[in-house]
Amino acid sequence: MATPVIMPKLEMAQETATVIEWLKKEGEYVEKGEPLLVVETDKVTVEIESPASGILAGVRVGPGDVVPVTQIIAYILQPGEELPEGARVEPAPPPPPPSLAPSAAPPPPPPSPAPSAAPPPPPPSPAPSAAPPPPHAGAPPATPVALRLAEAYGVDLRTVVGTGPGGQITRADVEAALARREERPAAPPPPERVRATPAARRIARERGVDLRAVRGTGPRGRVQAADVLAFAAAPSAAPAPAPEVIPLAGMRRTIAERMTASYQTAPHITFTVRVDMEAFESARARLNEEAEATGGPRVSVTALLVKAVAWALRRHPWLNSTLQGEEIHLLPEVNVGVAVALDEGLIVPVIRQADRKGIAEIAAEVSDLVARAREGRLTPADVAGGTFTLSNLGPFGIEQFTAIINPPQAAILAVGAARREPVVNEAGEIVVRPVMRMTLSADHRIVDGAQAARFLVDLKEVLETPILLLW
Amino acid sequence: MRELSYAEAIREALRQEMQRDERVFIIGEDVGVYGGAFGVTLGLIEEFGEERVIDTPISELTIAGAITGAALVGMRPVGEIMFMDFITLASEQLVNQAAKIRFMFGGKEKVPFVLRTPAGSGTGAAAQHSQSLENWFVHIPGLKVVMPSTPYDAKGLLIASIRDDNPVIFVEHKLLYKVKGPVPEEPYTIPLGTAEVKREGRDLTIIATSIMVQRALQAAEQLAEEGIEVEVVDPRTLKPLDKETIIRSVIKTGRVLIVHEACKTGGFGGELAAVIAESEAFDYLDAPIVRLAGRDIPIPYNRTLEYHAVPQVENIVEAARRLAEGRV
Repeated sequence: MATPVIMPKLEMAQETATVIEWLKKEGEYVEKGEPLLVVETDKVTVEIESPASGILAGVRVGPGDVVPVTQIIAYILQPGEELPEGARVEPAPPPPPPSLAPSAAPPPPPPSPAPSAAPPPPPPSPAPSAAPPPPHAGAPPATPVALRLAEAYGVDLRTVVGTGPGGQITRADVEAALARREERPAAPPPPERVRATPAARRIARERGVDLRAVRGTGPRGRVQAADVLAFAAAPSAAPAPAPEVIPLAGMRRTIAERMTASYQTAPHITFTVRVDMEAFESARARLNEEAEATGGPRVSVTALLVKAVAWALRRHPWLNSTLQGEEIHLLPEVNVGVAVALDEGLIVPVIRQADRKGIAEIAAEVSDLVARAREGRLTPADVAGGTFTLSNLGPFGIEQFTAIINPPQAAILAVGAARREPVVNEAGEIVVRPVMRMTLSADHRIVDGAQAARFLVDLKEVLETPILLLW
Repeated sequence: MRELSYAEAIREALRQEMQRDERVFIIGEDVGVYGGAFGVTLGLIEEFGEERVIDTPISELTIAGAITGAALVGMRPVGEIMFMDFITLASEQLVNQAAKIRFMFGGKEKVPFVLRTPAGSGTGAAAQHSQSLENWFVHIPGLKVVMPSTPYDAKGLLIASIRDDNPVIFVEHKLLYKVKGPVPEEPYTIPLGTAEVKREGRDLTIIATSIMVQRALQAAEQLAEEGIEVEVVDPRTLKPLDKETIIRSVIKTGRVLIVHEACKTGGFGGELAAVIAESEAFDYLDAPIVRLAGRDIPIPYNRTLEYHAVPQVENIVEAARRLAEGRV
């Protein structure tokens, strides 16, 4: 009698199953209980066992087909038996989607074994010529105890490598497979859940510690009381104070944008030179004696530096230039900007035509511009037209620094403090001299190293020999 | 203080209570002429006569029924079941009668008996003479369950049990009978429901019952040499249970190892673990509660297997060390 193979209903809410593969071929002999095909539900993939011993026939569904549960998908026939009426293999009808009403596309009626039908043939005495294949065909050979273990623990023997004679799967192989299964690391907890002991949680609660930040030293990374205590004791545990937020605006924003643009577009090269300031200082002292006697303006270091820088720039026009697109413009005027530090940033008022002004005039102008800069009373004209910038951090005690070029100028001079220090003089003696270091930053697109060096040499010379200013 | 064995301490408690109160009598198999299978009642029949030290036929149900009935009519009987395993035969009287009567008569009747019985393995007496069945009776409202671990506790707890107006299952341990310890000569009582901290420690708490208290104390000695300070708490009576002492100790140490000889599954350790987890001690636990108990097997006759069927000192040391070192 033909036994129908029915797509089983494996779960309460299951309506269909998908055929993954047939483990037996049409016409192949199969033992009752042997795996016949593999189907997949929403939740599991399972092997469907043959409901009877016999020959697989009338397979009506193939891999990938979605089949409603309880539908007949094949028959197991006894030798010589025909498929029941209506069970001919036809092109499998497109399986109805699960939402279809049960009335739609009724499955073919199960072949009610009609009593009137011819008596079934006697059970097949297994003909010696047609010996049934060994159980678990397809799976490698296994010892009985390995088979039993595999079944009990749901181990797929096809995934087990046999180490017994002829690749036979032994008990040890199945146990090893089981051990591997158990060794798989436990799924990590969802990120917001932390493994922690109750004591660790209590202490964290009491001390306001975020457990997610604590490294657990217990088994599987569990946070224990000692971990929380150590975390709480560490200085880093104190929550970082929130920063004071100041918007980037006004002068700050202008500085940020201009300095970034300068540093990114002008390749800076820097040169530092030491200057013996003794003559400079004595000249300045003499000038200030004169100022005192005549009631003229006091000459600051910056004012005298402006005069010297202007003198040197007149002799090195490439340092007093600007790059305009494809052209380098050597500028006719020497307008020296002086960087003035303010609370909110810095500003660079300009001494125009400094090369043509006397020292008293420059001194008066510098002190006026600096005073008005600090009072915030500079006009746009005061800060426009600079061709070179001088930044003197000597009053702060800075010995040496580099400055970023004030665009569109070609160079900037960073001046440090004059300090008395031992130097070796030309006679090879160690003498104490006031030494000042100054660093030129130049735009390498315009100025090369030798050019810059020559400028610095001249500047150094005029600072060390101020009488040259008369030249 | 003079030292007595656990068996002598029990005998002294029986003698002193029989001298003090003529309603107290002893009944059991071979408790009279033979002096008890473990010699606990030795000499008492000579002192108090056959009327007060009564040998029975081999029928545990008879013993339990007789003490229940005698208690109901005003006596204070002390029955003995030779091996705790045979308490199965007496349990109908214990569970369905003795435990229930006081409640079913609205408190007008009481059943003040003590049923003494030795439990435990270690004597090579195999599966039917080695069990620890105390938790069956812990589960029955109306019964009290006492498990002394020292001679001192045995005497004080037995006198308290005899004077208690409720049926008390008094579980002794065969291997403890010869253990000696200081015992005062005069009668004294230890109130039922008072646990004792047998050893103070800061690193973890071992809650142990009966002979496991002795083994836990030995383990604690070894662990102290490694710098692990174990606190050993002995509940002494499983019912009523002194939860407060247990919880206080767990709050102190944050780690708990429960040790008993009875099989782990369904054993008293599960109850202890639940009591701790339900209490305010939960917030102080810094590791899972660990149980070390008898394996879920009948006690084997083979002595090696028998040894490994229940916790031994080395097992306690290892389990406690793992727990103390945060490896659990």
